[in-house]
Amino acid sequence: MNHRKRSALAVVAAASLALVGACAPGNAGAPSSAPASAGASSAPAAEAYKPPTITLGTAEDSKGPAIPPEGVVKGGTVTMIDRDDFAHFDPAQIYVNTDANFGLLISRGLTGYKRVAKGDYKLVGDLATDAGTVSDGGKTWTFTLKDGVKWQDGSPITSADVKWSVERMFAPFVTFGPNYIQTWLTSENYKKDYPGPYGGKELDNIETPDAKSIVFKFNSPHADANYAFAMAGYNIVPKAKDTKEKYDKEPVSSGPYIIKSHVVDKSLELARNPNWDAATDPIRGAYPDVWKMEFGQEATQVTDRLVADSGPDQTAFTFYSNTPAERLQQVLGDASLADRRMISPSPYGNYYYFNLDRVKDQKIRQAINYAWPAKQIQQALGGPQAVALPTTILNENTTVGYKPYDLFGKLAKPEGDIEKAKQLLAESSNPHPTIVYAYNNLPTQEPVTLVIKNALEKAGIKVVAKSLDRKTYYDSISQTKNEFDLYWGGWGADWPSGSTVMPIIFGPVSDGGQNMSHLNDPTVKAEMKKIEENPDIDAANAAWMNLDKQIQETITPMVVAENRIGTFLHGSKVGGAEIDPQQWIVSPNTIFVKQ
Amino acid sequence: MTTPTSTAPEIDATSVTETPEAVGRSPGQLMWLRFRRDRTGVISAVIVILFFLVAILAPVISAVYGKDPYTLYGQDRPGLLNDFGYALAPNGGISSEFWFGIEPNLGRDVFMQLVYGIRTSLLIAVVTAVLTTIIGVVVGIVAGYAGGKTDYFIGRVIDLMLSFPQILFIIAFTPVVDQFLVPSNEETPVWLRAVTLTILLTVFGWAGLARLLRGQVLSMREREFVEAAKVTGASPARIVFKELLPNLWTPILIQSTLLLPALVTAEAALSFLGVGMGEQVPDWGRMFLRATQVYQNDITYLIFPGVALLIFVIAFNLLGDSVRDAFDPKIKR
Repeated sequence: MNHRKRSALAVVAAASLALVGACAPGNAGAPSSAPASAGASSAPAAEAYKPPTITLGTAEDSKGPAIPPEGVVKGGTVTMIDRDDFAHFDPAQIYVNTDANFGLLISRGLTGYKRVAKGDYKLVGDLATDAGTVSDGGKTWTFTLKDGVKWQDGSPITSADVKWSVERMFAPFVTFGPNYIQTWLTSENYKKDYPGPYGGKELDNIETPDAKSIVFKFNSPHADANYAFAMAGYNIVPKAKDTKEKYDKEPVSSGPYIIKSHVVDKSLELARNPNWDAATDPIRGAYPDVWKMEFGQEATQVTDRLVADSGPDQTAFTFYSNTPAERLQQVLGDASLADRRMISPSPYGNYYYFNLDRVKDQKIRQAINYAWPAKQIQQALGGPQAVALPTTILNENTTVGYKPYDLFGKLAKPEGDIEKAKQLLAESSNPHPTIVYAYNNLPTQEPVTLVIKNALEKAGIKVVAKSLDRKTYYDSISQTKNEFDLYWGGWGADWPSGSTVMPIIFGPVSDGGQNMSHLNDPTVKAEMKKIEENPDIDAANAAWMNLDKQIQETITPMVVAENRIGTFLHGSKVGGAEIDPQQWIVSPNTIFVKQ
Repeated sequence: MTTPTSTAPEIDATSVTETPEAVGRSPGQLMWLRFRRDRTGVISAVIVILFFLVAILAPVISAVYGKDPYTLYGQDRPGLLNDFGYALAPNGGISSEFWFGIEPNLGRDVFMQLVYGIRTSLLIAVVTAVLTTIIGVVVGIVAGYAGGKTDYFIGRVIDLMLSFPQILFIIAFTPVVDQFLVPSNEETPVWLRAVTLTILLTVFGWAGLARLLRGQVLSMREREFVEAAKVTGASPARIVFKELLPNLWTPILIQSTLLLPALVTAEAALSFLGVGMGEQVPDWGRMFLRATQVYQNDITYLIFPGVALLIFVIAFNLLGDSVRDAFDPKIKR
């Protein structure tokens, strides 16, 4: 399956944040603040980060309007400044988080995430009256559309539109969007199985008994299909106004706004959609009257403008321009910015994979885990405010039922337990192994490599640090026959469940694939299949979490890597700005303009 | 009040030969005399020699000082760096133990980094300067003396070399070299990086000197003493080495003394751009790069490599100037 886009995004995000890591936040070390700096290590981390809770909402939760943030004001013009224009408006082509975030403003899907309170989200029906009804042991999903949901021209949204939207994702021109639903409806080769609706052929296992009801019949149980439908890629497109490829440029709005003008790579303006009814929408607040967006602003410029907070920039914010390296200290050190800062660790899983074909002794892999200098890496990348140290494979931000565990004593000894590692090595097949560590030749990776080398060599492991060209890094490490023992890789969940992480990073071993540890264990495979087909979603989530621990305990295919923390800013007159912890982007749903 | 007139006649740098006790002196002696009277030149020379001494004696300094440039003191010993990786002590962690402070994040000793960094810089720069000068001299003289097609051909090669965007080329080419020469599961050895840098800097460095010398040789080729040598039946080798070369020492020496600081800066610049020596090798350029990223938190760390590089480059340039003045007193500043 082609899941690379999201991972590519994770990679881009990690790479861009790698730059952030280059310059560390902190308010100590400078001559003037030196006397106070001894206490500085604890002072800035005022409140510990709490991962979001994501639960399943009821039909009552799915009713509009959205829960307003505190002090909300309707009306006004808000400005969004960012570096890149949105690549796609056609929902079928949307996979990247920036496009998906913009999609919230102009399109709707069957389900979506409703913000109940800060850090508290519910999966609810968006166009549907609830988050779907499952039957037939998880194979059949039924959704009923709400009354009064309309397209921008006032015509009602019907079940035929929903069916059409899914069918058209099989068409050859759709190449970027997600493919979960398509494969569940047909097979892995879904584009061969069905050519799309444009030739007049329908897909039989999507049924529309009436204009309000839609039934999906999958080949196998998928208890989390309602989460899959919440992806922006499954937002809907009007059957009557579908212009195929051109739709990507001229979308028809079902959301609260209509694109009024768009100059590619420069600016975009949104005006209200008169046919959107807040009473039908539990997710989108849509408080400002007008949205103005500016593109082509580098992260440094965006940060400077938002820090300066002058004139029209007071009502400005950014979707995705993370505070860059050279400004992080300034932004984090300035107390007056405290209420305009948003901080969230990334939702991506980052791993130092072992190549199981080469590092065959689990004792050695465990020894490296024990010796791993997590704290030193964190320090090299800018400290606890720039980097978090997770201990689990699944990311806390994107896992329902997240349960932390600490197998290798990282909470007690984040700097690494050299004694324990030596002891394990003594029991292993080779007490002085040589490990080829391949790393991406980025400026920030050089010091990290030095730190890793330094720590592992203390435990008696010889480290050959192999620098790989940044352009071909991912190609090199995703070759199954690579000659490296240890390398970094990342992956992001598509919805908050292990089912979009585990089966991929421990999936089929192939060149260019995502299973970079080459884990190929029949027990794990059987367990993953069993969990995927478990109709009880809570049990499945708990099982993913158990499998997470079980894999690290019995196989140890990786060292869980450090996770970057993003810092975003908004103008002083922008209210309700919050980072969507799953997408790692400022959500437009709660934004309002203070008067 | 009057000042007593000096009994000794005034000594002018330009009129050394007119001193009362008119002794015969070789041009080398004259140059040395003039140079000794140039205070700037002497001070610069002392500084330059000091830098070379520090480079040569780095292990001794390290042993006396009790630190080495590779240990991550800040990480191994708690209490030196805070959570964010900055030195807890004021001024970038300067103390009686760490004279120039500690490197942010990784926590290496700045003084040792600087001392060993001179080695890296000077080694690459000196080797490159010597190679560049040899190639430049040979090619320049051959082109100028041979003339005709050889001159034309060499001239075009020089044009090509001078018009090449060398920094860009080196940035693009270094990873390629690594890929070809280093087995895929081996680390790039430090010496390979040094050799690559030296070769690449040499390849792009010789053309300027060669062109200059070609011009000099061209103007000398038709002069009487060369004609005379030819008439007496001297071989081309003799003409080149005995007649032309002695007249070219001045531009060669001046060019190469000015080349050295330029190469030190070039090496630092390449490290700054990420194609210099690796993280484990102490290097001024990389220190500088890191310092520009953290200067808001740790300005001290920017000052040390910055000032060191500044002093070194200025001293070397002034030395080059003084050498030129001493050789060629007609050019008045």
